[in-house]
Amino acid sequence: MDFITLSTLLAGAGITIGIIVPAIGQAMVAREAMKAIARQPEASGSISTNLLIALAMLESLAIYVLVVVLILLFANPLLKYKVGG
Amino acid sequence: MGIEEELGPYVVFTIGPVEVTSTVVTTWLVMAFLVVTSYLIGRNLKMRPNVFQNILEWVVEAIDGLLKDMVGPGSRILLPFVGTLAIFIAAANLSGLLPGLKAPTTDINTPLALALIVFFSVHYYGIKRHGLREHFADYLRPIFLMLPIHLASELARTISLTVRLFGNMMGEEIVVSILFLVLPLFVPVPMMIFGIFTGFVQAYVFTILTITYLAGAVKAREG
Repeated sequence: MDFITLSTLLAGAGITIGIIVPAIGQAMVAREAMKAIARQPEASGSISTNLLIALAMLESLAIYVLVVVLILLFANPLLKYKVGG
Repeated sequence: MGIEEELGPYVVFTIGPVEVTSTVVTTWLVMAFLVVTSYLIGRNLKMRPNVFQNILEWVVEAIDGLLKDMVGPGSRILLPFVGTLAIFIAAANLSGLLPGLKAPTTDINTPLALALIVFFSVHYYGIKRHGLREHFADYLRPIFLMLPIHLASELARTISLTVRLFGNMMGEEIVVSILFLVLPLFVPVPMMIFGIFTGFVQAYVFTILTITYLAGAVKAREG
């Protein structure tokens, strides 16, 4: 299997697997926030604000995975050593 | 592999040896828009504000409230810096949705520059508040072994600010351009609407994190 095929396949697998953990983390945070809002509806504004910040923090982990995959696909630094695949 | 020509910043014109890229030109346009709008709105401030003045006042009050919450007294000095960051990032993120313009935050240089500005401003305001020795002495508390951890966290904060802003904006642009290949006028629209939302959210998160880092440096310390 040549270099380009392998790196593309692994990039696809990488983003798929790498998204799982941040997604689960965000779901856990959102679940607790929903419970908190249900318990105390008058605090929902403050809870929503903090929820959004926490989600953005966790999102950034997924973004790290995305950036690495984008680099692999579009700006692969090792490509020039493997000219011809 | 020709896609990076479409997704990366492109050169608009050259002045002698200097290549002026789309990032720079769009940043100029965003700056011009913000300056002209604020000037026109701020020219005739009334006690009973019209719509535009009201919007600006709401934004300023929101950021001032955040600063007061998280930094406490003495936060007013940070307001111009943090407010400019917030408004510029929001405007820059949204500018990518206008036809023909490419958001400056999709070029990694812009988020990197903003993150570096935040990094240096943390030290600047910390030294301004506490003095040179006291500001850096805090890195040795509670025990001098914390110094490498503090340094690592400073580096991680800067990199994460950069990558978060760049990754979100670039990801949205890539998805929009791929949807554009499917059916130009209609299919990218839902993603662009979502892009408005994430543009604001990323500006908000960048601002909140900046305030958090500044608060850590500027807050009054007990002994």
